[in-house]
Parts: sequence; C-alpha cells; structure tokens
Amino acid sequence: MEYVVEMLNIRKEFPGVVANDDITLQIRPMEIHALLGENGAGKSTIMSILFGMYHADRGEIRVRNKKVTISNPNDATDLGIGMVHQHFKLVENFTVTENIILGLEGSQVLNRKRAAERIQALSDQYSLKIDPYARIDEISVGMQQRVEILKMLYRNADVLIFDEPTGVLTPQEVHELMQIMKDLIKEGKSIILITHKLKEIKEAADRCSVIRRGKLVGVVDVKDTTEKQMAAMMVGREVSFKVEKEPRTAGEIVLDIQQLNVQNARKYRSVKEFSLQVRAGEIVGLAGVDGNGQKELVEAITGLCTIESGHILINGKDISSLSVRRRNETGLAHIPEDRHKHGLIMDYTVAENMVLKTYYHPPYSNYGVLNEKAIAQHAAKLIELFDVRSGRGAFTPAGKLSGGNQQKAIVGREIDMDPDILLAVQPTRGLDVGAIEYIHKRLVEQRDKGKAVLMISLELDEIFNLADRIAVISNGELIDVVDTSETNEEEVGLMMTGYKRGTA
Amino acid sequence: MKRMVSVLVLLIFAAACVFGAGQREADPDTLRVGMVTDAGTIDDKSFNQGTWEGIRQAQQDLGVQTRYLRPSGETEADYVAEIVNLYDAGYRFVVTPGFKFETAIYIIQQRYDDLKVVLLDGEPRSQDYESHVGPNTVAIYYAEHESGFLAGLATALQLKSGAVGFIGGMEIPPVQKFNWGFQQGVDYANSNHGTNVTVSANNVIYQGSFTDVPAGQQIAATMYDRGVKAIFAAAGGVGIGAINEAKSRAASGEEVWIVGVDVDQYEEGVYADGKSIILTSAMKEIGNSAYAMIEAELNGEFPGGSILTFDATNDGIGIPAENPNLSADVERVVFEVLEKMKTGEVAVQDSSAGLIP
Amino acid sequence: MKRIPDALLMAMAAVLLGLIAGALLMLAIGSNPFEGYYYLFRGGLMNMQRVGNTIALSTTLILTGLSVAFAFRTGLFNIGAAGQMLIGGLCATTVGLLVPLPRPILLVVMVLAAMLGGALWGSVPGLLKAKFNVHEVVATIMMNWIAYWVVYYFVPAYLKGQFLETESRVLPAASSLRTPWLTDLFNGAYLNMGLFIAIAMIIIIRFLLNRTTFGYELKAVGSNRDAALFAGIQVNRSIILSMVIAGGLAGLAGASFYTGYSANIQIGVLPIQGFDGIAVALLGANNPLGVLGAALFFGLLHAGKGFMNAMTGIPPEISDTIIATIIYFTATSLLIGRALDYVVRRKKKGGK
Repeated sequence: MEYVVEMLNIRKEFPGVVANDDITLQIRPMEIHALLGENGAGKSTIMSILFGMYHADRGEIRVRNKKVTISNPNDATDLGIGMVHQHFKLVENFTVTENIILGLEGSQVLNRKRAAERIQALSDQYSLKIDPYARIDEISVGMQQRVEILKMLYRNADVLIFDEPTGVLTPQEVHELMQIMKDLIKEGKSIILITHKLKEIKEAADRCSVIRRGKLVGVVDVKDTTEKQMAAMMVGREVSFKVEKEPRTAGEIVLDIQQLNVQNARKYRSVKEFSLQVRAGEIVGLAGVDGNGQKELVEAITGLCTIESGHILINGKDISSLSVRRRNETGLAHIPEDRHKHGLIMDYTVAENMVLKTYYHPPYSNYGVLNEKAIAQHAAKLIELFDVRSGRGAFTPAGKLSGGNQQKAIVGREIDMDPDILLAVQPTRGLDVGAIEYIHKRLVEQRDKGKAVLMISLELDEIFNLADRIAVISNGELIDVVDTSETNEEEVGLMMTGYKRGTA
Repeated sequence: MKRMVSVLVLLIFAAACVFGAGQREADPDTLRVGMVTDAGTIDDKSFNQGTWEGIRQAQQDLGVQTRYLRPSGETEADYVAEIVNLYDAGYRFVVTPGFKFETAIYIIQQRYDDLKVVLLDGEPRSQDYESHVGPNTVAIYYAEHESGFLAGLATALQLKSGAVGFIGGMEIPPVQKFNWGFQQGVDYANSNHGTNVTVSANNVIYQGSFTDVPAGQQIAATMYDRGVKAIFAAAGGVGIGAINEAKSRAASGEEVWIVGVDVDQYEEGVYADGKSIILTSAMKEIGNSAYAMIEAELNGEFPGGSILTFDATNDGIGIPAENPNLSADVERVVFEVLEKMKTGEVAVQDSSAGLIP
Repeated sequence: MKRIPDALLMAMAAVLLGLIAGALLMLAIGSNPFEGYYYLFRGGLMNMQRVGNTIALSTTLILTGLSVAFAFRTGLFNIGAAGQMLIGGLCATTVGLLVPLPRPILLVVMVLAAMLGGALWGSVPGLLKAKFNVHEVVATIMMNWIAYWVVYYFVPAYLKGQFLETESRVLPAASSLRTPWLTDLFNGAYLNMGLFIAIAMIIIIRFLLNRTTFGYELKAVGSNRDAALFAGIQVNRSIILSMVIAGGLAGLAGASFYTGYSANIQIGVLPIQGFDGIAVALLGANNPLGVLGAALFFGLLHAGKGFMNAMTGIPPEISDTIIATIIYFTATSLLIGRALDYVVRRKKKGGK
C-alpha cells in the first residue's frame, strides 16, 4: 500500500471563491505529512472535506486504495480518520474517561471502569501520561490536547489530523507533542499536520504539501528543504524572517508598572505584585503561556478594568485611575489581541475605523459634527502609508478586509497617534508571513524612532525576533526580565512554567 | 426566488379572475345597513352581537344589505373613519352600539346629511359634552333599572334566601342603573313574595373596566367564597371572567349562579351537558331596537332628531323568554310584574336613593 | 452608498412577499385579492381626507419607528416604545388639561413634556442596562406595564371627565395639536402638527446618526461594544443616552397620538403603535428615511383596510389578519434575509 489516504483533484467552490482548486494530497502510511499554507489558502477546507463536513464539487477520496464517500464526521471516524481540533471539544467538568467515551456510550451499558482501563493502556502504549480519572478542568492545556489524541486512538483512528496544534502550548509542551507524534507513527499511525509554523514542520514532518490560494504549489521532502524555501513556496516570494534591527540604547522610562495587583472577573487575583519598566527606544517582549495574567495586565494598563492596587505611570504621570480615553491622550496606543472583537468596528468603513480614537478632535469633527472630508483624507493617507488593501479603499467596510489588512489598518491607526508607548498584544496572530513581516518592521520602526513598545506574544519566535528585553509572566507574576541576547528559547520556555533563572 | 414570486403572482391573478367572476353587483335600490363595532369583537355575546343579530334579522325579513366594520382603535378618529368607510361604500344607514360613539356621531351627523344614524345607549355629543341630536340621528336609551329590576326579582324568587352580589364594569349611568334596579327587584321579592335574599355593600363592586377578564374572575371568586349564591355581572369582559369562575365552580359541584346582562347569556354559561350557570339575564332588546329603526326607515318613518327610551312599555327590556334555570312559577311571577310595570302599577326608580350606590 | 439600495431592495421584496401572503389569505376565504388591494389602497388614498388620515396614522408610526430604530443602532432592542408613548401622551394631556397658557406656548410645553416623559421612561431601562446589565428587553417590557398602571391610576384620579371613568377629559381645541388649517385642508382628517414634529425628527435623527460624533459613538457601541470600549468611548453613557433619546421619540409619538389624532387618553390600553414601531423599524432597516417609508406603508394599510371591508366581502377580522401577516412577513423575511446572508458569510469564512 503506497498511500493510506489520497485526495485526488479536489475542487471546492464557495460563492465567489474557489477554496480548493484541483488539489491532490497523498499521505503515506507512517509518515507525518505537513500541510502548509497561509490563512485562507484552503487548508481548513480540504481537511473539512476529508472529515466529511464539506462535500467536494469534484475529485475523489481514496482510503487504503478504496474509493470512499465521506458525508459526515462519523463516516470519517469509521474509516479510521480522526481530528484533533484547534479548539478542543471537551466537557470541562467531566473526567478524561467520560470525555473520551462521550458519544459512544449509547450502544452499550456505560462501563466506565472498562473504558478507563483501555484508556490507561493506550496512554501507556504511547506514553501520554494521562490519568483516566482526572477532571478536564484540573489538567493543563497540553494534557487536554493529549485527551483529544486519546479520543482518536480510542476510536481506533490510524490517520490523525492535527489542526494548528501548537498555538496553545508552551515550548516544552510543543517539544513533547512532537515527540508524541513521532511515537504515534512508530506505532503505525499516519499524521497530517496542519500548520503555518515552519519550525515545527522542520522539526517533525517527513513531507510537506504547500498550498497557496486554493492550489497545490508542491510537495517537498522536509529534510531536503529549508524553511526559507518552504516560506517562499507558501507566500509566492522571498521572505525574510530576521528583522533587521540596529542595536540601540534605551532612553528614559516611559511605561512604569509598580507593584500592580489585578483581580479578574471572578475575583481571582490574576496579576500579582507585577512591576515592569519599558524605556524609550526599546521593545520589551512579554512572554508567557496563554492565560497567565496577560489579558488582565493589558486591561489594567489600558484602563478597561480597575486595578486592585499598585501604580501605572506613563512618562512619570500616574494613569492608573484615568479613563481609557484619557490614557490614550496621555500617549498610550494599543493594538488589541482580538482585532475582530476589540480592534475594529466591522460595520464601519475603513475611514470611520481610522478615526476610532480621534474622531472627536478637529479636523475630524467640529462642535460635534463630523467632517467626512477630513476623515476620508486621513484614511487615504493611512491606507497609502500602511499599505491597507481593500476593494473600495477608504469606503470599504472593515469586515470585508482580509485579516492581514485589518491588522495593518489597526497598526496604522495606532502608530499614527504617535504614541509614546505602544502596547502590541499578539500583533501578528493568525496572519500570514507577508503581513507578519510587515508589521514586525513597523514595530521596530517605532522603536527606532525612540518610542517604547511593549509587545505581548505567545510566539516565542516573535519575541526573540523583535524584543530587546524579554519579560516572562507566569501565573500573574513577573518571573524575570532578561536581555534577549543573553538568553535562549529553552531558558525562556522554562521560565514560562514558573522557574526562575538559576533555580532550575 | 424571483421565479417563485412571479409564479405566485400569476397564480393569484388567475385565481382572482375565477373568483372575481363570481362577485355580484350590489342592488342599488336596497337599503344598505352598516354597523361599526365597539372595542370588542362581533361575537362578544353582548352589545356588538346583540346589535348585529337585530340587523341580520332585518336582512332576513326586510331584505336590506348589511355589513359591519371593526375600528382599529378606540379613538374618535377611528370610529369616524369606519363610518366614513361605510358611507363611501354606499351605506346610508349606520347603527353604532355604545356611548363611546357619541362624539364621533356628533361629527358625522354634521358632515353627512343623507346618512341615517342610530346610536344605541348614548346621544351625539360635542367634545364639550353638549348634546345635539341631528335631524337624521336617533339616539336610543334603555331603562336598565327596569331590566335589572326584573332580573333581581327573578333571582330572589328562584333562590328564596341567601346573599347575592353585583359586579359592574365602569361606574357609568347604564351600569349603575342595572345595579339599582337589581337591588329594587330583590327588595320587591323580599317584601311581596316572602323571600329573604340580601345584597350587602361589600358585594357590590365596580371593577373599573369592561375588559379585564382575570379581574372579573377574581372578584367573583371572592364573592362566592363569601357565600354569595348569584352574581349579577354587568361588566362586559369582566363579566366573562365572572362567568368563567362560576362555570369552573359549577363543574366541581358548587351551586353558583350568574345573572347575565344586555343579551341572553345562557349559552355563554354552559359548562356541561347543556347545563348553564346563567340563572337569567337582564336584557336590553338591542337587536329589537336596531330592527325597529331599520323597519321605520323602510316605511319612511325614521324618527330622526329624537331621543328614544326603550323600556317595559315598548318591550325594550326584559328577561329572556325562556329561562331553563328558573322555575315556571318564578317566570310567571316575573312576567306578571312586567305587565304591572307596563301599566305603571310597579315603578322602578333610576337613582341610587336608599340603595347601595 | 451601496448599502442603502440593498436594504431598500430587501424591504421591497419583503413587502411584496407580505402582500402575496395576504393575497393568498384573501383567496383562501374566497375573495378577489386584486379587488381587495384595490379598495385597500383607495381607502387610504382616494381623497384628501383619506390621505390626511393615512398620514395621521403614519405620523405616530414614524415616531415610534424612529424610537425603535434609534435604540437599535446602539444595539438596544426597545420593546418599550408603547409605554414611553403612553407616558408621553399622559404628560402632554396633563399639561394640556391643567396648565393655563396661551396656545403657542402651551403646545410647545405639551410637546416638551411628552418628550421628557418618554425620555424618563426610556432612561430607566438604559440605566439598568448600563449599571447592572439588566437586559433592556425585559426592562422595557416591565416599564410598559408600569406605564399602563400609572395611566390607569392617574387618569381617573386627576384627569377624569364628567362621566367617563376610563378616559381623561377631552382636550379643548386650544390644546390640541390639530389645527384648523390642516384639518380644513384635508377635509376634517385627523392629520395634525405631530407630522411636522415627525418630519423634523427624521431629519434630526438622520443628522445625529450620520453626521455627528455622538451618532458615531452610538453606532460604534451598537455594532461592536467591546471595540468602542477599547477606543475609549463611554459605552454606558451611550447606552443611557440612546435609551433616553429613543424614549423621547416615543414620547413625542404619544403627544402626536393622544393630543392630535385623539383628543383624550384612555386607561387600560397599551398603544399598539408602540409595537408596530418595531415592525416599522425592521422594515425601514433602522434608517430614518426607511422608517418614513415603512411608516407610510403601514399607515396606508391601517387607513385603507376599513374601506376594503366595506367594499368587499372580506370581514374585518380577516383584514386584520392580512395586515398582521404582511407585518410579520416583512419582519421575518428581513430576518430570513439576514440569516441567509450570515450563512453565506460563514461558508465563505470556512475557506481559510
């Protein structure tokens, strides 16, 4: 058997878009096959077809050399195809066993004990180290992901699809996941790894299919191909990963966070005695695993939540009790994590969004009346300056822009405010390589202009690439601040789990 | 989608042609009698229905064309609009039930001098409450106190002893007169026929609207719990609530009664096996008066410009001809007293003097 | 811009579908729908008086429609237009009956009182939403019933006429929004100066929403509350003000209805126009000009149906059903359209 799964000449059209155009994917038994592409390239569509959620307009699917029709996820499961979704589908207050047998319990009398035994056996076989009786909300995200994997194994899947599996993991967990995947193929499984992270492909995958704009660009052997080559295939041009950055000496303290304590909505203290200084002309990267207090810290700095105690100063002025608007006027700009939810008003045009924080000032308005001409001119300028591409220029509703262009619009708006301190939260999340490159350049440009930048990111690559200094947050506490040049990913990764330098 | 719409339009067009062919032209010579309903529905088992039944009877007997319209609101503008609709559609005779039409008719009678209007239970009034009955308008009142008297008499005779009560809608003259007459009827039975039936002040309640059905039910329940055996409900929708309460109690074996109002409400009170909790009804012969006016118009004798009162003497009030819940003796006595009222031997006062107001 | 014709097209399709549904209903009872609609439209338009009454009915709907639409642009569902309108009417009637002032000043005071009363009624759900996150749908419905009972108590206690317990005294001509030259121009129709208020409000609200920073803030809050918060817009203030203005608009509807179209206020009735305002706003795509069109359309239906009844064999109950069908069809078909749009967008998103 040469291929375990073959998707031949698949075509799928949505109104106005060809999502998959004659794509052929062939997965060999016992290989890790990466599927690489930018956002919107068609990765999710083709996997949804394989998993029975969409139907291909044309083309055929063959599993173990037999032509099959997959009309729903159950068909896929029956064929031994399983998927670990990007967002886990687990019931928080159920145990591991209960989650795994969920949906299978109907056919026979519920026998938790027997199920648990089998789960234990599978866990041992693939060294997943899972306790079948643990409750989901008591185990870490990495462990939860393993539960998802076990779910597949329990259903006898031997082709496993991993959809962007590393986004929520710490570097150590990523490393462990890669090891698990390698163990899985040793035991006879085949894996499809959907990702846009080249490093992970390089680390784990055997072969890689690259998709660009709905078309298959090529299939490469990973060990013979460099990251740069794969990136070029994905984007369609040469890209540079390393941001060119002149060394600079930092200036005065711009943002000064002193012994900050913040409670989250559930009255749990999620930022604890946090102190951090960001100086003019430097980028400080805040590294940490998602959910360790970054959100609350950002909300405290921007004024979206009240702080419990402590002080936040910008250029020496205490802003900790000012309104969001007053803070903006004091020189704070904010690129929010979720551009859909927080960054833009999708029903508003690009022009209207560009003045979201300045509309009440002349020339955009006089005595409460908007000056549409000035707003349009302003938008035209920023669109030009920040290369925001859209169908109808300034008058395009923001919702109709691509993710990258939306983000460029936000970055443009925030940088245009000429802030003293730019707070960039996950500024490149979900963007393709081209857009990431562009936004990184803009952030460095800010730094070079002598502005302070605090960047919060879950991607260590991004932090190492941009930051002059790296602050690590874990469980709401500042673990340490280190110079980027004096540390490495392993050390920062370790700090992210709460170990201080020198104590590990 | 577009195609579906055009197919539908085509279908409707075709069907319209077929059905349209069946429509017959109205005969221009017959009198067209229109009615505009009050706030309630046409089958309100009360004023609207009573009026409409009289008009339908005229259609059957006298060959007039009839139609009723229902106003979209309760303002003068809404009432005027519907009367104008009838007028524009060729109706030259309009019957309107209820005092709420007073100001609307005042405007209408000035605007259309070839439109005959019959206003039941009210008279045309300007917005300043000045009465003026135009030459083509007849205002009709009823002697509610006489009607209530007969109902009170019948109730007392049938029950012989115990407490009875009264639920009114709004505290307005027609409703008040029902109440006063009812009490006098009970008194008359007590002093002339040896019964011992009482009406106490806390069993006389005006709810304040004609529409609040649950409130009616609640008030009736309270009264029944106090030991009241029969309630005279002159209260529109509130009375319906009282009837509902009586029905559910009767169905579980309690002996409770309602005395109906305006029309024979017997059917409304049926709860099982054709049995009804309506003891009798204090009727205004609304239908009769509408019918009489139509007949007068056809005979060229329409008494335009006058205010008429329908009472015992012209059979304008009474209790139903058949009362399955009254004994033959009781019915006989009531009809005897009715005859005495016609001759003036028995007089009923239309004020609250000496009574529970 | 392109979005407006889209909404217009959608609204027209909705009206057409509603009329077709009504036609089917007429067919089902054996009436000729062409005849029915012919008389329906004639009933609303065949002479000056009828045109006047159509516009008079539309006037109230314009204002309640604007009220609902305005709140909706800030992301709030104002089900309370009926109560706000009732309170507005109560305030205007009270001033009209009890305050001795020369007519021009009196009318201004009446209208202002109505607006303030409605605004007050709208402010409560706004405050509850802003401070305690009480859902405005619940709060506005509650406020409807509070308004209902306030009127129930207040009118008999202070405004009672000589005979009737259930309605206030009739307003003297001097304190009515009806004005002889308009009444005469339209042959005794109930058209009144409320129309000018309604037109002024369309212009003002349109300007407010589209051209001012205030409208910009309100719409921002309406379409993305979080982003507005992030941008430093005072979301809670916007919510409260939006409900105050929506309430004020409904209050004006009360003035035009109770002191113009009608001459007194009745107890025990929540004005149906308050709820029809929701359909008007929906059909009008929450756009002031759309509201104008939708209100005129619904006003025409209400004004014309009686004549249709009188001329055809269609009984009033059926014609009410037909109108309700049209209203609900227009309302739901817009929703269906939106749902379809959403599904299409979702599918597109699936391609990434």
